[in-house]
Amino acid sequence: MAAGLSLWLWRSRCRALLSRPAGAVRAHRGLAARPEMHFGFQSVTEEERREKIYQVFENVAKKYDVMNDSMTLGIHRVWKDILMHKMNPCPGTLLLDVAGGTGDIAFRFINYVRSVRQRQLQRKLKHHQNLSWQEIFDSYQKDQFNSLGDSQVVVCDINREMLKVGKQKAQHLGYSEGLSWVLGNAEELPFDDDKFDVYTIAFGIRNVTRIDLALQEAYRVLKPGGRFLCLEFSRVSNPLLSRLYDLYSFQVIPVLGEVIAGDWRSYQYLVESIRQFPPQEELKAMIEDAGFFKVDYENLNFGIVAIHSGFKL
Amino acid sequence: KMAAAGGLRRAGWRLWRGRAVVKCQHCPPARALQASAALLRAPDEHKKEPLTSSSQQHFDSPPAGHQPEQEPRGTHHSYTGQGGQESEDYESEEQLQHRILTAALEFVPEHGWTAEAIAEGAKTLGLSVAAAGMFHSDGSELILHFVSECNTKLSKLLEKEQKLVQLGEAEKKPIDEFLRDAVEARLRMLIPYIEKWPQALSVLLLPRNIPSSLSLLTSMIDDIWHYAGDQSTDFNWYTRRAVLTGIYNTTELVMMQDSSPGFEDTWRFLGNRVADAMTMSNTASQVQSTGEAVVQGLMGAAVTVSNAETSRAVR
Repeated sequence: MAAGLSLWLWRSRCRALLSRPAGAVRAHRGLAARPEMHFGFQSVTEEERREKIYQVFENVAKKYDVMNDSMTLGIHRVWKDILMHKMNPCPGTLLLDVAGGTGDIAFRFINYVRSVRQRQLQRKLKHHQNLSWQEIFDSYQKDQFNSLGDSQVVVCDINREMLKVGKQKAQHLGYSEGLSWVLGNAEELPFDDDKFDVYTIAFGIRNVTRIDLALQEAYRVLKPGGRFLCLEFSRVSNPLLSRLYDLYSFQVIPVLGEVIAGDWRSYQYLVESIRQFPPQEELKAMIEDAGFFKVDYENLNFGIVAIHSGFKL
Repeated sequence: KMAAAGGLRRAGWRLWRGRAVVKCQHCPPARALQASAALLRAPDEHKKEPLTSSSQQHFDSPPAGHQPEQEPRGTHHSYTGQGGQESEDYESEEQLQHRILTAALEFVPEHGWTAEAIAEGAKTLGLSVAAAGMFHSDGSELILHFVSECNTKLSKLLEKEQKLVQLGEAEKKPIDEFLRDAVEARLRMLIPYIEKWPQALSVLLLPRNIPSSLSLLTSMIDDIWHYAGDQSTDFNWYTRRAVLTGIYNTTELVMMQDSSPGFEDTWRFLGNRVADAMTMSNTASQVQSTGEAVVQGLMGAAVTVSNAETSRAVR
């Protein structure tokens, strides 16, 4: 009975939200320092927004990975793998993963760099066919303790709960070296200038209150030649697909949120925030404004997700 | 009709020459203009906000090993309004990519034509290794850049020789000797990279790269014929191109699996092919000779490929 009532409640809420004109709210996109900002389809002040988003992720932290899998039917793993292949890091890369919470990107980075390093060592060995056995043994000693080739990843997140879950996962999966966990705000990173080779933000920039500040910080902490990569939900241009996607987002995902994580409100926020986020071209312009060059984006799954890339030159 | 064809031929050659340098496929021209606009605005911006960091990361000749982004920022700070100096610090994305690829070439013997070589090259310029992400991961741009550079070097060499002939300081070579020397000079540029060159050839044959690699090849061949001058042969334009392309490609393949000292087998093969081409021009009709040139090229290729297979099997 109570379940039926709650079901009816969120259904009517969804309908009300869908019918609300998005135009006026879309004007508040987090660019200027206006007091009126969007939290999903609601209108809130900047401070309120930060608070609410912190709470959202505090609530979902433990079930974050499970929910990702069920909402995207596991496809988010493919998206993250594609991001890693696009990055194509070589050993010695210093990666900053912002809003990296549960560490998905960080673990993939470590795996990738480890396998590249293996291949590198194998190739070196092939070249050493004409060296003496002593020299080969010495090179083993040198490389043995360097399975990552000096690569490092720093996972930065504003939310303590998400970092906790990430650290537990790392321990559970056996990732020990090359990982660092830092508490920090994307709009004001606790790092020095010109430090990192690659900056990634996967499914996190949507939750940042001042996107332009985050982009400027990204520019600041990157080395010259460094790369900015952003994996985020984006605009589907195909109208038929867009309708199906909307249907799925607003009808199915909050229900999943309620059933699996016991929190439909957070997942309601999630799908609304996707609709509020700037489309591909607009985000590309924002990235260019921050000073990046060769800014480009790649649509995955017809625009459900897009990878934006820019270089600090 | 012949005069018109000749005029068309020369115009076409000039067009090919202009396209001999491969332009970066990934830079939309509008963005370069935007970059230049951003930089030209810089003096005003600087007077207001001396600490702005955007758009000032261009550098033309950073001292090796230093933090290059500090230096240009320093020069911009001391900028007092002399218009001429500002344009020297400007560099487009294309030029930067060009410099990265040139720097990457020295790492090719060790890493092959790969993104790793490009990453090492970027490192020597003081950039992050992530800058290699600007290029395709299979190293296509690096190879195309190298081929384009070699073609430019060859053009300059041939131009110098032509000047010497014009000034009367050197003898004008007979056509077969000229062709032989030109192809040999061009192929010698591959010697430092000869171990990894087969890999490069296979990448150049990828469908994605065929338009660029083909245009580079044909422009080089046209270049050689242009400097060979209008010497009396019985070839028409297409036949000449096909014949020399066949000679070049087959000699290149022979060079891949040549282990003789100083590649003398290759140069002997080259001499024979050029001599065959000369004899061919004195026989039969032009249509037949074109077909024969193609067939000869294929036969030569088949022979060298089978030789390469057997020698590789033996190794």
